[in-house]
Amino acid sequence: MGELWRLLKLFAPYRGWILSGALLALLTILSNFGLLALSGWFLASAAVAGLGGIATQNLFNFFTPAAGVRGFATVRVVSRYLERIVTHEATFRLLSRLRSWFYARLEPLAPAGLQGYRAGDILSRIVADIDTLNNFYLRVFTPFLVAGLAALIMAGFFALFSWTVGLTLLLFLAVAGLALPLLTERLGAKLGREMTNINADLRVQLVDGMQGMGEILTYNAGPVVRAHAAALNDQLIQRQGRMSVITGWGSAGMGLLTNLGMWCIVILAIPLVVHGHLSGPELPMLALGSLAAFEAIAALPLAFQFLGQTREAARRIFAVADQPLPFADAPGPAPQPRRLDLRLTDVHLRYADSARPALDGVDLEVAQGSRVAVLGVTGAGKSSLVNLLLRFYDYQEGRVQFGGHELRDYPGDNLRRYFAVVSQRSYLFHSTVRDNLLVAKGDATEDELWEALAVAQLDEFVRAQPAGLDTIVGEGGVKLSGGQGRRVAIARAILKNAPWLILDEPTEGLDPVTEMEFLRDLQAVMAGRTVLYITHRLIGLEAMDRIYVLEDGRVLESGDYATLLRRGGQFTRFATFRGAFEALSAPQS
Amino acid sequence: MAKAQRVDQRLMQEGRRTRGALYFGIGLGVAAGLLIIVQAILLARVVNDVAFLDKTLHDVMPLLWAMLGIFLLRAALSWGSEVVAFQASAKIKTYLRERIFSHLLTLGPVHAGGERSADIASTMIEGVEALEPYFSRYLPQMALVSLIPLAILAFVFPADWISGLILVIAGPLIPFFMVLVGYKAEAINQRQWQKLLLMSAHFLDVVQGLTTLKIFGRAKDEIEIVARISDDYRRTTMAGLKVAFMTSAVLEFFASLSIALVAVSFGARLLNNSVPFYTAFFVLLLAPEFFNPLRGLSTHYHARMSAIAAAKRIFEILDLPAPASAASRETLAPGAQISLSCHDLHFAYETGRVALDGLDCAIPAGKVTALVGRSGAGKSTLANVFLGFVTPQSGEIVVNGQIPLNALEREQWWRHLAWVPQNPRLFHGSIADNIRLGKPDATEQELRDAARQAYALEFIEALPQGFGTMVGDLGQGLSGGQIQRVALARAFLKNPDLLILDEATANLDMESEALVLDAIDRLAKGRTVVVIAHRLATAERADHILVLDEGRVVEAGSHQELLAAGGPYTRLVAAYRGDHGRTLASA
Repeated sequence: MGELWRLLKLFAPYRGWILSGALLALLTILSNFGLLALSGWFLASAAVAGLGGIATQNLFNFFTPAAGVRGFATVRVVSRYLERIVTHEATFRLLSRLRSWFYARLEPLAPAGLQGYRAGDILSRIVADIDTLNNFYLRVFTPFLVAGLAALIMAGFFALFSWTVGLTLLLFLAVAGLALPLLTERLGAKLGREMTNINADLRVQLVDGMQGMGEILTYNAGPVVRAHAAALNDQLIQRQGRMSVITGWGSAGMGLLTNLGMWCIVILAIPLVVHGHLSGPELPMLALGSLAAFEAIAALPLAFQFLGQTREAARRIFAVADQPLPFADAPGPAPQPRRLDLRLTDVHLRYADSARPALDGVDLEVAQGSRVAVLGVTGAGKSSLVNLLLRFYDYQEGRVQFGGHELRDYPGDNLRRYFAVVSQRSYLFHSTVRDNLLVAKGDATEDELWEALAVAQLDEFVRAQPAGLDTIVGEGGVKLSGGQGRRVAIARAILKNAPWLILDEPTEGLDPVTEMEFLRDLQAVMAGRTVLYITHRLIGLEAMDRIYVLEDGRVLESGDYATLLRRGGQFTRFATFRGAFEALSAPQS
Repeated sequence: MAKAQRVDQRLMQEGRRTRGALYFGIGLGVAAGLLIIVQAILLARVVNDVAFLDKTLHDVMPLLWAMLGIFLLRAALSWGSEVVAFQASAKIKTYLRERIFSHLLTLGPVHAGGERSADIASTMIEGVEALEPYFSRYLPQMALVSLIPLAILAFVFPADWISGLILVIAGPLIPFFMVLVGYKAEAINQRQWQKLLLMSAHFLDVVQGLTTLKIFGRAKDEIEIVARISDDYRRTTMAGLKVAFMTSAVLEFFASLSIALVAVSFGARLLNNSVPFYTAFFVLLLAPEFFNPLRGLSTHYHARMSAIAAAKRIFEILDLPAPASAASRETLAPGAQISLSCHDLHFAYETGRVALDGLDCAIPAGKVTALVGRSGAGKSTLANVFLGFVTPQSGEIVVNGQIPLNALEREQWWRHLAWVPQNPRLFHGSIADNIRLGKPDATEQELRDAARQAYALEFIEALPQGFGTMVGDLGQGLSGGQIQRVALARAFLKNPDLLILDEATANLDMESEALVLDAIDRLAKGRTVVVIAHRLATAERADHILVLDEGRVVEAGSHQELLAAGGPYTRLVAAYRGDHGRTLASA
């Protein structure tokens, strides 16, 4: 329960909203209880008075209870409406609070602290977890609080007439609201876990089936894979069937307990009426009231379900938020670099979860104003080099000198000012073109934006869109092609106007024609900047002053294009026909 | 709206598959409704007898026992309808999953679009699951929403026509006002939901782009933006929700008001002694039940919306046109050498991109043929044609000079070939399972032989679990070279007559690369091989080279012949070697 306490403490600033929402929910339930109980009493009393002749008829106060009935009905309608508005308002406020709190925790951790969370859908699961936590107030906290209070008040009201009747109501409410959901939850827990596992297996099976379809078909494994998926589906359906039996028990039990509660109360009340301890009209009041009372616990089975989910989600979210910083950032003041030269001497970098070092004694030099390429296969250590330069990861051994100071002495945010990055991982936000550009320079003028787009050769496209700079990109908007997305990254780099340009496999995933055009247009950005070009293909390397070939975290060889080609070493392994075609179609220099 | 109705109709058609269960479920619901009425009669009798006729507990006990019986019956019905409701959807779910999957397999990898695999997987799992409440709750409730109130009216009217009138007027007024307020509210509601999802998506967006934000030194500013956007959305969304909640407020209003009206009107008449208490109490008990089905319907309306959204995706997949399959009985003797010849192949993708444009070629039996060409020249499409994943719009492919490829059943043809793509897929399972993919009954010895031939035995045995090591998405990661060798072992085990492979580009470390090349050489021996070549070494070693450009074969011959010819291939080789300044001179 520790997680939930923490969650509640996090919500403390919105106490007012939280409590007024719950209060209105309580009022809604009580007014329905009041409406039915009073109606029952009122009808019976009127009948008693009616039977008693003119005198009793005149004595009977018709208007107060009649007004009460109408009053309860009105209060119920109004409080229900207000309750929904207030609880939703509170929910949104809490969500906003949760998000900004979580983001503030996440920001210093990224990306090193989130390394384990980057793959696949894990990140979106975390975000979904936040949404789940948001259910805590509306679906867990409020129902439990309101059910508890309402049960006590209603049972207390019944106790005014008879202690046993009051206690009986409380007992039945507790059994139906707490014991029954807990029991069904317990019965279904194992099935639920099994279903989650089968679902995961089924998903793997289906993703395998889609991504490996060519192989499955040509190995004639289609029927086998289909049978396997069908078997998993059958297992799932069978578990769901058993689960439906349990939920069936749950809802049948709820109805039965509601009726039984009323039944017991009637049986207890009848002798009291017979012996004159209760008046006749109080019998229908108790009968109708007890039926209405069970509305208070109607939301509890669902609340129990959400309780489990919320705790799981809270546990995961707090686990992410509580991670220690992967390494301490330099406190500042930032060193003042002279020339922006970079020199790596025997640098070792090992990721926390990996057995093999990513950089294993790298020596590398980039003089200010020069163009240097790093060539290597996937996993050779190229990206680690970028991670190191941007201070996303710390190095364990060796020295990295940037502008004459050790890289570690720069606070991360200060250091990153010197670098603009164009990479296949440059993220495009699902927002407007303008927003995506302003990321690079928050105070850029309209003219600056268009200028940057022009250099990136994207201005015509944006101008052609009806919404211009306010065109939404990504889902729900204009879909940018791979090349266009990369051009946004160029425009950002121009806006940032940093002295260093890091090109991290900038053309990965582009078709050859687009790639050629893209590399051509990159020239404009490279002019006057120090360039570090990370790639696993030979294209574009002729123009580099020096090329380092990296394998297994070490530099195998280095030199300019012609030298390396003449030497015929590992460098030539990177030659492909595709490269040759590109060379053929490249404009001859 | 019209679209939603079309999907509705199609869903109902699917619903016929479990018509029996659906009707049974509705029957149970109606029976439960009738029992509620009987229970009201009994309870009204008990209260009336005790409060007005001075009966004792002993006198009314038979009635109470009867009530207990009704409770048990109602519980049984409620349990039964839960189970039946599930059964109603189970059949449809199984049927749809099976149909989507087999349809995708019929479409083949090219048409089914492998990149959206995660999306397709969630359509088949959560999407199909989202249909359940549609069949198990929404459809039965649609029937009950008219049947139960009618049944209640049938009892209320004879008992007291004034109350009956109140209910009759309020009942239809609810849907009427709900529609009036609701149509607008529904639209707003939908838009707000969309916005809510968008806001969630925005947060995911920011978290995913955190690294990019950090590079630009903007990450810290985003804290405020996250809060501001959430607050903006809250404001606009709440404005919409205030209207949307009116829908349910209308329902509440009429329900509560009708009950109050019934109660107050009875109160007045009871006071005048013009109606018996029994009747009044009986009607008061039924009044809330009159509105309950409507309440249920509005709860399940949301289920309908998400079911329709899911169904749209499902029908989209099912509506992709399937390729025609061969019905002929042509067969190919196993172990025979295979040659292929193509004449005037034309193929364009749905996007309009022309991939094959009158391609002619011959693939000689027992030889290695390399396909060389720029990206988009038609290499992969041609390989897909040979694999049967793509059917050319015109032209013909003839196997062994006599059998047209499209006269062979796909499964039959696949039995003769093996395919090793550039990035082979390891399926979730053990390494042994993966190698046995095409031959599940292979012996231990055959398995080891295949692995040895593919230079995979050594590294597999070095793994702690050996052949039992779990690989794939949830299993252990193997290096690119190791995956290649497992895929080659798979092909060795199949012992194909025709091998089609897409050479891996420079993504293998040095050691793996040498082993993979040797393994391919071994596998190629004595078979017909078509290889999409990315390296000069591969083309050099091939017996025959086809140079493709713009969907046609522009040059064919051996490496030596082509170099001697001094055509496009010669220029390419020169460029490959890095002397594209002196392209022609080096030839």
